[in-house]
Amino acid sequence: MKAFELARPVTLDQALQELEKDSAKRDRTKLFAGGQDLVTELKEHLVEPDKLVDLKRIPGLDRIEVQPDGSLVIGCLVTLATLAEHAETKNFFTALAEAARSVGSAQIRSQGTVGGNLNQRPRCWYYRHELAPCLKKGGSECYAYAGLNKYNAILGGGPSYIVHPSDLAPALVAFDAEVTLRGAKGERKLALEEFYTLPAEADVTRETVLAPDEILTHVRVPAKPGWSSTYVKFKERGSYDFALASVAVAVRAAGSPRTIQDARLVLGGVAPKPWNVPKAAEALLGIDGVKTWTAAGNRAVAGAEPLAHNAYKVPLVKGLILQAMEALAKR
Amino acid sequence: MSALDPRAQDAAQPDTKPGKKKILVPRVENGHETMVEIEVDDAEGSGRPQWGPRDALRLVNHELVRVDAVDKVTGCARYTHDVRLPGMLYARFLGCPIAHAEVTVDVAAAKKVPGVVEARVVRDGEVKFLGQPVAVVAAKTREALEDGLRAIVLGIKPLPFAVTREQSLAANAPEVNRRGNASKPNEEGDPAAVAKAFEGCAAVIEATYEVPIQHHACLETHGAVVDVPTNDSATVYHSTQATYASANEFKGPLKVKEVEVVNEHMGGGFGSKFEAGVEGRVASELARDLKAPIHLMLSRRDEFLCAGNRSGCVQTVKLGGDVQGKLVAMQSSIDRLGGLGGGSHAGLPYIYEVATSVRTMRSVYTHLDANRAMRAPGHPQASFGMESALDELAYALGVDLVEIRKRNVGDVHRRQLDRVAREIGWNEHPHKSKPDLSDATTKVGIGFGLSVWGGGGHPECRVTVEISPDGGVRASVGSQDLGTGVRTYVTAIVAEELGLSMSGVTARIGRTSYGPANASGGSMTSASLAPAVKHAAFNARKAFAESLAKTLKSDASEIVFDVQGVYDARSKRRLAWKDACATLGPAGISATGEWQAHLASNGIHGVQSAKVRVDTRTGKLEVLKMVCMQDCGLVLNRTGARSQIFGGMVQALSYALFEQRVVEPDLGIAMNANFEDYKLAASLEIPEMVAILDDEDTRGVIGVAEATVVPGHSAIANAVHNACGVRLRSLPLNPDKLLLGLAGLKKG
Repeated sequence: MKAFELARPVTLDQALQELEKDSAKRDRTKLFAGGQDLVTELKEHLVEPDKLVDLKRIPGLDRIEVQPDGSLVIGCLVTLATLAEHAETKNFFTALAEAARSVGSAQIRSQGTVGGNLNQRPRCWYYRHELAPCLKKGGSECYAYAGLNKYNAILGGGPSYIVHPSDLAPALVAFDAEVTLRGAKGERKLALEEFYTLPAEADVTRETVLAPDEILTHVRVPAKPGWSSTYVKFKERGSYDFALASVAVAVRAAGSPRTIQDARLVLGGVAPKPWNVPKAAEALLGIDGVKTWTAAGNRAVAGAEPLAHNAYKVPLVKGLILQAMEALAKR
Repeated sequence: MSALDPRAQDAAQPDTKPGKKKILVPRVENGHETMVEIEVDDAEGSGRPQWGPRDALRLVNHELVRVDAVDKVTGCARYTHDVRLPGMLYARFLGCPIAHAEVTVDVAAAKKVPGVVEARVVRDGEVKFLGQPVAVVAAKTREALEDGLRAIVLGIKPLPFAVTREQSLAANAPEVNRRGNASKPNEEGDPAAVAKAFEGCAAVIEATYEVPIQHHACLETHGAVVDVPTNDSATVYHSTQATYASANEFKGPLKVKEVEVVNEHMGGGFGSKFEAGVEGRVASELARDLKAPIHLMLSRRDEFLCAGNRSGCVQTVKLGGDVQGKLVAMQSSIDRLGGLGGGSHAGLPYIYEVATSVRTMRSVYTHLDANRAMRAPGHPQASFGMESALDELAYALGVDLVEIRKRNVGDVHRRQLDRVAREIGWNEHPHKSKPDLSDATTKVGIGFGLSVWGGGGHPECRVTVEISPDGGVRASVGSQDLGTGVRTYVTAIVAEELGLSMSGVTARIGRTSYGPANASGGSMTSASLAPAVKHAAFNARKAFAESLAKTLKSDASEIVFDVQGVYDARSKRRLAWKDACATLGPAGISATGEWQAHLASNGIHGVQSAKVRVDTRTGKLEVLKMVCMQDCGLVLNRTGARSQIFGGMVQALSYALFEQRVVEPDLGIAMNANFEDYKLAASLEIPEMVAILDDEDTRGVIGVAEATVVPGHSAIANAVHNACGVRLRSLPLNPDKLLLGLAGLKKG
């Protein structure tokens, strides 16, 4: 493995000073927290940085703060295990706790962090293979488009057809979460949904707008009084796996018959970014039942363009939406 | 009729000479198992060791905890990977990253990496399979080793390749095998007779069933730690399922007369570890040349690509039966897919009797490593074709899925089918001859599959049992423990014979110098080794009795060994075990034992069933329960035998749900040569499992391991159809296939 310098800053400012300013050289310096994605990239020689900036000694970033209004502020070093077991998260942001619980294995959840999960790189077989110089690695072709694309995108694809692998992201987008990006010149806050990019709209080698000299320090999840939510993830191997597809649903419902007044519906595992489908969420409004769920399913996959081996994701998403809504109706 | 069908063995009996019997035993050549007939003594005379009545057994056939269990779970057990010798160097291969290429290898830069001691070309020129080792590096640390491997410069000129059956059979396919990319089909049976027989059938089905290339996925990768050879001898720590035979393979490259192979514990082999292989040869050459011990264990990636595979197959089957479900005619053509190897397939019809049949079989070659034996070579593939086709015919005829099986097999399988059907809940199951085509969103289905195996023994092992004057008892066997619990049953057999507890006997295993031993193939270790252990213990007891008779002025026949010690029936004297041993001279007792045909048997039967739940909205497939009933003669360790059955069922479940080697067909590169992307079943996939040992089997010891892996995936695939009407004809049974199948049903 190529030797690298390990910087171990103890303040955010020190960490920021270690970062690369030049976008073209961004892969020379990598942020390091739980290492669950980075170490696999190092081992596969997908990145060979000169420097790792270890964030773990910076105090305060490993906390979940519950604000007086019920909103959450989650530090980037909070582990997935902590998030999955956090009482307020489980009670009021159920989909988020379920998403955290659905990641990898117990070992991965105890090491992996929120920041790392949101910033992880794609799992596409071609991206992960050193010998496939794909678009994501600066090459000229998305091999998945005409190749082995069972795990690839049915929505939002082109010219790259990766799917974003994060489980937290769809749940957080469903809660209208906002991220704080700290840079040397200050910080900016933006909706998590705006944090992610589509390959056709931005740098195809990236999945986010994070600048090389920025750190995602916090995620703020606004309070959602009266909402209930769930995250349903379909794993090919139940014990530990990435999603073939997933659905995060959050609804505000009341009355009898139960009526849905507001809703969010975000898909994971089917597009290069968390796939927010407000039109599908809109279809859920009104008297809760299979009819609206089915309509939402149909709208969620509207415009899907399956590749040769992933058409199954279309019925899968519809099925997961039914399952998610059924689970919510029982709560 | 399959070569391993027990009926074939019964039929062979009448031709044997008096006092002899013919048995089928597996023979392993070049990693491939074939069954050969041998003649053995069949004398049941007195003065020979006997297992005795089952109800009189105290340890054997009981629930025994593995004697090495604590060592294994605490990490004390030393596997080959764990061996560390002074001055040892770590070595590893660099494999060719594409399927077929002209390769030049430049190791100059690797040699300059600090910590690297040697870098060598293993192969250049034409590389014929994906992952073939082309270079090796030996270094003082594993980090330096990684850097050294990385520094090797490969000049790769890609050559046209075929990594799939379709590519290999295409009109303009590149040459994989000089004699043709497909071997000459071997045909058995009379096509005209079969064609005529189909005319009289009440129903005929025809379909193609596919299984992909699968990996052994041994937790411990292949390899050896080779110590520096002296003038005429060397010690090799080798993860092998043939400790005794492996010594010979190392003699050549080490240029020594004697090799001691040590294999105290091993992390799986499943048929892939019969040979020293290129890793054994290269490790030996490095140890000899560098005069340093060499630790050369394959990386996980190498393990996936160059350590063998379970061959896949494409089998087209036409099967017809009469109204009752009696099988009348079968026609099949089978392509075995074993990379550069011939692949294996047990043939069709498999297990079930079909009145008239014809089949053709051939190998289709690709630029992938050659298949190796894997747990019941060729049988799981044949099972999938046979059981799936039989199920399809049953539905076509409207015959109960258990009944159609019972109508085409022998008594033992029939009895087992009834028992397993009861255990899985078949009697209450509403869908016995039609799948559940209701609108329910979750549906439960049941499926069945049968197994057969040989599992007989071989006259290969020589075992020593020693009794010391201090009361210690030691059994030494050269055989390795492939995972079945050899130490435990060796201990139990000796302790049983001498009237001792398990803790009174120490079993030493897995060393060439402990004596000639069998290779663990064909599930024949237990049936080969246990009789020899029994014989050695019996001889030790006899010798001890004779010695004591002299001391006690009694007769050897009057000396009894039991749990209370030693009893002389003549003088009515009782001695504690230690006191009796103290009468021995300093050399104690040393007795050897060899294989005893009458203590072993062969030819076993099993029935498995799976209950699954399918979510028709998402294609989620959950295996809820698996049941196996299995005969295997005298069970040595009931816990161990059930553990073998569970292991077989889990491996078949994983095969059913996930496992397949994926090679990019256009780039010729490996897509899932790691444990993340090559998915194995893990804890949440494991269903409720029930293993029923068939205690109506009163024969001698028979190996059970391989039979248990034969039918599980077939039962699961059949259960999926039973649950929801989707017939999945190719493994693995992934949700994408199931969802598309369900969508197809909706369209009608």
